Amino acid sequence: MEAISFTSSEHRLAKLSRALTDAGFVVGPWAPGRRTVLDTFDGRLHAAGLRLELSDLHRPELVLRGGGTAVSHVKVTAVPRFGSDLPQGPLRARLAPLLDVRALLPVLRVTGRQAVATLADGRGKREVAVVLHGGVVLDGVPGAAPVWAAEIDELQGYPKAAERARRVIRSIGLEPHGGDVLDLVAAAAGVDLRGYSGSPTVPLAPDEPALEAYRRVLANLAAAVERNRPGTIDAIDPEFLHELRVAVRRSRSVLSEAKRVLPAEVRARYREEFGWFGAVTGPARDLDVYVIEWPDYVRPLGPETVVALQPVLDHIARRRVAAYAELADALGSDRYKTTMATWRAWLQAGSPGEEVGRDAAAPIGRVAADRISVAQARMLSRGRTITEASPAEALHELRKDAKRLRYLLECLGGVLAPAPRKAFVQRLKALQDNLGEHQDTEVHAVQLRTFSHELFETGSAPAQTLVAVGQLAERFELRREAARKEFARRFGAYDTKETARSLDGLLRTALGS
Amino acid sequence: MKVVANYSIKGGVGKTTSAVNLAYEASISGARVLVWDLDPQAAATYFFRVKPKVKGGTSRLVGGKGELASHIRATDAPSLHLLPADFSLRHLDLRLDGTKRPLDRLASLLAPVADGYDVAFLDCPPSISLASESVFGAADALLVPVVPTTLSGRTLTQLADFLDGKRDAPTVLPYFSMVDGRKRLHRELMTTLRAAWPNFLPTSIPAASVVERMGPERAPVATFAPSAVATAAFHGLWTDVAARLWP
Repeated sequence: MEAISFTSSEHRLAKLSRALTDAGFVVGPWAPGRRTVLDTFDGRLHAAGLRLELSDLHRPELVLRGGGTAVSHVKVTAVPRFGSDLPQGPLRARLAPLLDVRALLPVLRVTGRQAVATLADGRGKREVAVVLHGGVVLDGVPGAAPVWAAEIDELQGYPKAAERARRVIRSIGLEPHGGDVLDLVAAAAGVDLRGYSGSPTVPLAPDEPALEAYRRVLANLAAAVERNRPGTIDAIDPEFLHELRVAVRRSRSVLSEAKRVLPAEVRARYREEFGWFGAVTGPARDLDVYVIEWPDYVRPLGPETVVALQPVLDHIARRRVAAYAELADALGSDRYKTTMATWRAWLQAGSPGEEVGRDAAAPIGRVAADRISVAQARMLSRGRTITEASPAEALHELRKDAKRLRYLLECLGGVLAPAPRKAFVQRLKALQDNLGEHQDTEVHAVQLRTFSHELFETGSAPAQTLVAVGQLAERFELRREAARKEFARRFGAYDTKETARSLDGLLRTALGS
Repeated sequence: MKVVANYSIKGGVGKTTSAVNLAYEASISGARVLVWDLDPQAAATYFFRVKPKVKGGTSRLVGGKGELASHIRATDAPSLHLLPADFSLRHLDLRLDGTKRPLDRLASLLAPVADGYDVAFLDCPPSISLASESVFGAADALLVPVVPTTLSGRTLTQLADFLDGKRDAPTVLPYFSMVDGRKRLHRELMTTLRAAWPNFLPTSIPAASVVERMGPERAPVATFAPSAVATAAFHGLWTDVAARLWP
């Protein structure tokens, strides 16, 4: 369907209705209804060129537009929240991978009336439809200006009929607009259908003073924390907490790398506070990961083992509910609110008479290049000392170094050329994936045995559950060992002259040379 | 895009009515559906009220001139498009024979429109011919209507023998069609055939006068008889097929 909207008024729409009738269209009755655009918080469907709409003009129906001229329609009895709530079949097959763990949320809800004018051929086959939209407003917003519009529903293979509809509409002086009636209402109400972007990269001029640049970078991260806080507290989907924690870790990391720029007291205070944010949100995230990854964890196991592990999954689910209640308390606490209020105030205006670092006025391009160089050197230096005999802790420390470097590349990335930055991050990511697998599998094996111990202590799991936990933990152990063996190759592939040349080239873009 | 061919060596077994009704059921279940009417009788085209005409002729299109997309027509079902049949299809075998890789020809014609649809139904003429082989090359599944008669098992065996050993052969999904539950012979043959062919889909399509009304109504049964037993059967059959295509 091709939709072309024409802004109009009640009077002009009535005139259009008469003109369509005169041109041979059959105008149907007006019917009230509500339409809701559903998307994830971060606009994944919009980014994929899709629009999912819940329409209750007749019966509740999901309508998915985009990805070709045919539009998907399916009647539903309840509003889907996750991909798994969509009816089984091709619609779910298309949407579920895009949504992943994210929830569908109403991003725009409108009410209004509509009538459909159709033109059919001699066989009674419809060749084009004109949808008349009367008094469409944002739902629940008193005083919102209503939108009057007409849309041409051009049917594939019938261009002449669509042209005839256009001629009728133009004959009464209506002008076309881009987008459909929902776009018109969204634009009038200032609703951005693109959704939230969690990008840590803000535009930076290489010669702007480092202090100002750091403030803008940290303000962007503070906004990410705040925007993800309500969804985290309400446990809408696990990505809110994940995004919040990533913004917190990035903030802490940027503060660590701002020694010669930000005032020492500010760095010390907020590093400690962001450390606390990380600590109070960690347990819930760890348990989220278990619940999300569980199907993959148990897939290689036999069906009897999977059944035997069910008490563990139930135990994790109970612990998760408790962990979310604790983090909701922490994120609603005075400590959290005071920290964020004072942090935002400092980011905006600083404090009178404070002593800033000696590089505060230096150009951010040079400061960013210095910090990234130091972080890279630190990581390579540690990595080169790691041998087969090194303890696991050495790899964990290297993982932290790699994260710090990654966060610098992302958060101060506004001074770097985008394409080489992306290529370098990919290079680093290959090493990070290995270090992540090594640490995560170790942590999971330890945690599983802790859960098993807790279940044993309370006598709430049969012996076969404890045996099954042993099997699963062993799989994590095997994966950890494989990652450990793979490490030398991955680090060797990263620690090359090519990587050094690539980084030098990237950093030159920050220095403007 | 999954490609489902409604195919039978025998004619008059409810192949086209099933294709039309299954396509409609697919379209109201959230699928974006393309029906390609490959039968020169153009019955599916008729049921969807579309003019049986393709500019230049479908046969010429298959022979290598033009692209599929420009000949596709929207039907009255919002998610269901049709590539109509025309009389030139009677020369389809000849046209295919003149192409470089006739067995891949239909698949290569469908490839450019694959992103715009979730499922394509090919309504094939009854026979085993070069056109059928090209259909087999394009299809993920062959939906085979089987009227429970003594010779039905033999027809299925012929088809299985023909596909045996072919590379990337489609999955054969037989289902009972035009079933009269009052007939003891139908009931007994269905039991026997199900035992011999475990791949039979669970839902059967009854012989029903409401299906014959598709002619005068020129529409899928669900649109003019939503509560009919046959409508429920086509819905059930589509559910069976969808479960195989999107497990």
